[in-house]
Amino acid sequence: MTQTSTRPRRLSPAEVHALLGEPEDMVKAKVQDHIDEYFRLFIAHSPFLSMATADAEGRADCSPRGDYPGFVKVLDDHTLAIPDRPGNKIADSFRNLAENDGVGLLFLIPGLRETLRVNGRAYPTDDPDVLARMRTEAKDPVLAIVVEVAEAYFHCGRALIRSRLWDPASQALADEIPSVGEIAAAQFGMDIDPMALTHVLEEGYRKLY
Amino acid sequence: MQQTVVDHIERIAEDVVSLVLRGATGPLAPWEPGAHVDLALPNWLTRQYSLCGDPADRESYRVAVRHDRLSRGGSEYIHRFLRQGRALEVSLPRNHFPLRPAPEYLFLAGGIGITPILPMLRAAAASDVPASLVYLGQSVESMPFVDDLRSSYGDRVRIVATRQQGRPDFAALASALSPGAVVYACGPGPMLAAAEAAFPSGRLHAERFRPAPRSFAPNTAFEAVCARSGRTVRVPDDESLLDALNHAGFPVASGCREGVCGSCEVAVLDGDPEHRDDIGAPAGRMYACVSRALSPRLVVDL
Repeated sequence: MTQTSTRPRRLSPAEVHALLGEPEDMVKAKVQDHIDEYFRLFIAHSPFLSMATADAEGRADCSPRGDYPGFVKVLDDHTLAIPDRPGNKIADSFRNLAENDGVGLLFLIPGLRETLRVNGRAYPTDDPDVLARMRTEAKDPVLAIVVEVAEAYFHCGRALIRSRLWDPASQALADEIPSVGEIAAAQFGMDIDPMALTHVLEEGYRKLY
Repeated sequence: MQQTVVDHIERIAEDVVSLVLRGATGPLAPWEPGAHVDLALPNWLTRQYSLCGDPADRESYRVAVRHDRLSRGGSEYIHRFLRQGRALEVSLPRNHFPLRPAPEYLFLAGGIGITPILPMLRAAAASDVPASLVYLGQSVESMPFVDDLRSSYGDRVRIVATRQQGRPDFAALASALSPGAVVYACGPGPMLAAAEAAFPSGRLHAERFRPAPRSFAPNTAFEAVCARSGRTVRVPDDESLLDALNHAGFPVASGCREGVCGSCEVAVLDGDPEHRDDIGAPAGRMYACVSRALSPRLVVDL
């Protein structure tokens, strides 16, 4: 195990401000307090988002959510609903939301460099009218996360340009990573054939809803 | 699939738009009254809509779409985001609701259920077969094609706004039905249930756009023997035949996944299928999305 010999220096807020300066007026102006027609259009075409939450002590968590484009429903100009599909059942997000309802969302659209950020407050629901709008393969999710939108804005595309995220050639990076079976077998010290473990995980991926 | 372009999109009633889809590469496949197509929407969803235009028009298809309050993303997408000029893939027409020859027709339509009925009424009128239409909707503003129907068919069409007038007495319609007359009905579940209670089953043809609420015996696991490939696919009790076949690498198409659209039709060669669809599978066919097996194994033509 390697560790840095000295901790990197911690900057004060004033030092950060001195380095970065004031945000441009245009950047401040683009923040809206509701879901306008362009944000709606973006959400209707987004199949993926990451959702950040934190507990009462500030212990943070970020989890991926994905489905067909528009899987996040815009209930009205101030409210979104995100289906909770079968995942790892760890439910960190829900534990966090019970203590601290703050939530940050980052929506992506494949091929598009700009992203949509939505921040607000969230709670779980089992409202049948909300779940019915998320029915997939004749199955409703068990619950959904309602997000009351406080701010929404487009984030510029530099990070995605620099990361070459949508460049098909970038997918060669995935070949550098061992299979999940090999990693899990090593991480958990399991005496199991990595191929068999990968197969078990792939079988699990067959049931998406 | 057929390549089309959205030629025209227009609001024709409260929460209803009409779409005209023009063939992008020449004439579109022919169809007959009662047929529907799948639209492959840009958000990866596939939705079925009855063709409501003129079958003689081979240049374009017309459908009408109601914005469902509980839309999962199909009708909402069409209403909010679909624009003129957008390319759209459309399936070949399928018809589970064909108009059979009869000496007289009574058509019953509820709301957007008017869409398959419209070309049926036109065909009956063109061949001088006596036909009348009872068209129900919550309010006249919410009912598409009311003006066209009134001007084309006059008093052969009865428009009933149920919020003011209530639902017409189907039993009275049934007792007034002339011998030999056949009823074609399309509309929401409660309307179809009332029609099924009132009209003799042999004389009523109905099409649903939602599955009828029914309950089935608990799922059991079974085997699907794929005769052409010689492979056997195990279907566990918590998986559909469609999913099991897809996961085993058989590219069976799918659409509604609720037993109403018919995209996933599979030929059955042996065994005893348990039909759970709302289409009424013809002999030797089944719909893999919902239907299962009563026998421990089915032999399918795959």
